Amino acid sequence: MDIIPQIIINSVIAGAIYTIIALGFNLIYSTVKFFDIGYGVLMTIGSYVVFLLFKKLGFDFYLSILFGIVTSGLIGYLIYKIVYYPLRARKASNMVLLIASLGVFIVLQAIIAILFTSQFQTLTLSSSVQKIYEIFGGFITQTQIVIFITSVVLVLVVALVLKKTMLGKMIKAIGDNEDVSKIVGIDTRKIIGYVFLIASSIAGVAGILVGLDTGIEPTMGMSLLLKGVVATIIGGIGNIYGAIIGGFFLGFIENFGIWQISGEWKEAIVFAILIIFLIFRPQGILKK
Amino acid sequence: MEYIIHILILVGIYGILAISLNLIVGYTGLLSVTHAAFFGIGAYAVGILMTSIGVNFFLAVLLGIIFSCLFALLIGLVMSKFKDDYYALASFGFNIIVFSIFLNWQKLTRGPLGIPGIKRPEIFNFIFSSNLHFLILVLVALLLIYFISHFIVNSSFGRVLKAIREDENTIQVFGYRTLYYKLAIFVIGAGMAAVAGGLFASYITFIDPSSFVLMESIFILSIIILGGLANNKGALIGAIFLIILPEALRFVGMPSDIAAQMRQVIYGVILILLMLYRPKGLLGEYKL
Repeated sequence: MDIIPQIIINSVIAGAIYTIIALGFNLIYSTVKFFDIGYGVLMTIGSYVVFLLFKKLGFDFYLSILFGIVTSGLIGYLIYKIVYYPLRARKASNMVLLIASLGVFIVLQAIIAILFTSQFQTLTLSSSVQKIYEIFGGFITQTQIVIFITSVVLVLVVALVLKKTMLGKMIKAIGDNEDVSKIVGIDTRKIIGYVFLIASSIAGVAGILVGLDTGIEPTMGMSLLLKGVVATIIGGIGNIYGAIIGGFFLGFIENFGIWQISGEWKEAIVFAILIIFLIFRPQGILKK
Repeated sequence: MEYIIHILILVGIYGILAISLNLIVGYTGLLSVTHAAFFGIGAYAVGILMTSIGVNFFLAVLLGIIFSCLFALLIGLVMSKFKDDYYALASFGFNIIVFSIFLNWQKLTRGPLGIPGIKRPEIFNFIFSSNLHFLILVLVALLLIYFISHFIVNSSFGRVLKAIREDENTIQVFGYRTLYYKLAIFVIGAGMAAVAGGLFASYITFIDPSSFVLMESIFILSIIILGGLANNKGALIGAIFLIILPEALRFVGMPSDIAAQMRQVIYGVILILLMLYRPKGLLGEYKL
């Protein structure tokens, strides 16, 4: 049997996940212009809230997911209020913000590990068997189809919001020039708060989907975050469609790389690509 | 007593790492988060050379330094293209690539199995077998590194480094080829980290890739941010504090796995608070 269809399916699913991660990360970066490492741990939080409510406390599945997304969003918003806002109000440098966000990441990840142990867990019930479909000789699970559809819907919604609504226009204006936006009467503090709320909720969605597909552990955030960052940079920072191109490009390179070389080198392949892009095309495939 | 000696040895090793990273981050202003890679290269060089060929420890450390320097030259050349937060991001990438090599080049490094049975240093038929003797060796190395670093930053070379940190364009106008200076200090710092790696491998007698992950680089960075950038006494104080902290937590009666996570919570919180209220650390002379 030919293995190519399966690799293509795996690439598309990985690409869809990276697209979702990059979507939220890109939204934050293009508005506030610093690398928010703390974004990574919000994915972990989202999936652990679902784990707690659904598997430990027996809540309804969809209700748990809703709570997971909302919790991620709110925590992201609170972090902005408590840490990033005061720093930005003081015009702290990007490096200060990067290190502060690293601190946020370390603290929250460790708290999750204390509360839920460092063990690998699954989000799905062991009794339920996933439906598996066959497409062109490759297999795809029900969860993976949901992942793909979610990524398409999220990209469309975010693109529409940015293009058509007043909120979207204000977000773009702040991304272009924060000071001028303030002068023309945009409440930048509030709008950037919304950006963190939306992007952090997207992080929650990404974390829950990864959790449903493969499982969760407290340290999952960093590698997912870095994939999202790499996808953002490859695609083109500050360009919403860049997230799609970067995400899928990364998904394909990674999976075909694994096929040709071997699975263990996955992370190294991703970062080799990042560094190649940073050297030769730092603005990414799509310019802003 | 044995226990206190053990702690002091660790403080010494991390002191070397902190001082060497301080040259790069504190004095030159290059936010490098890849120090654990050079620490690891030193450790693996000593581990492999001593166990498979039976090279003397001191010769092995010397070769480890050379190897680490060469690698740093290569990485430094690539990284010299980036600035500030992109520099930090690219250094993340290199740490992960080097970690991947430790993990996956199984013929050389035995991958996740690690290298056991690394011997203690031996010179003129004298073996540093007791921990007290080893502590003396570590302290001698620490003092040596401290004074070399002191000498570097107070020389005319060191003044150029600080000028690069403050304003790279201006010092270029005066005719300094800043690229060479940045490369040189990066290579020197990497060589010093390799010394710490060699001592670590020989002290623990066993190394595996998990000691050289990205989190370790972040930990070393936290030490110097806490103690104060561009201040070597601060770097030492930071190392003492962050090494003793988890041990103190164990004394309070916390189980060791939770103590390890608590350490992360505490140094994460320290990073956030420092960024918010005192971005130059305890004794720092440079603000990010």
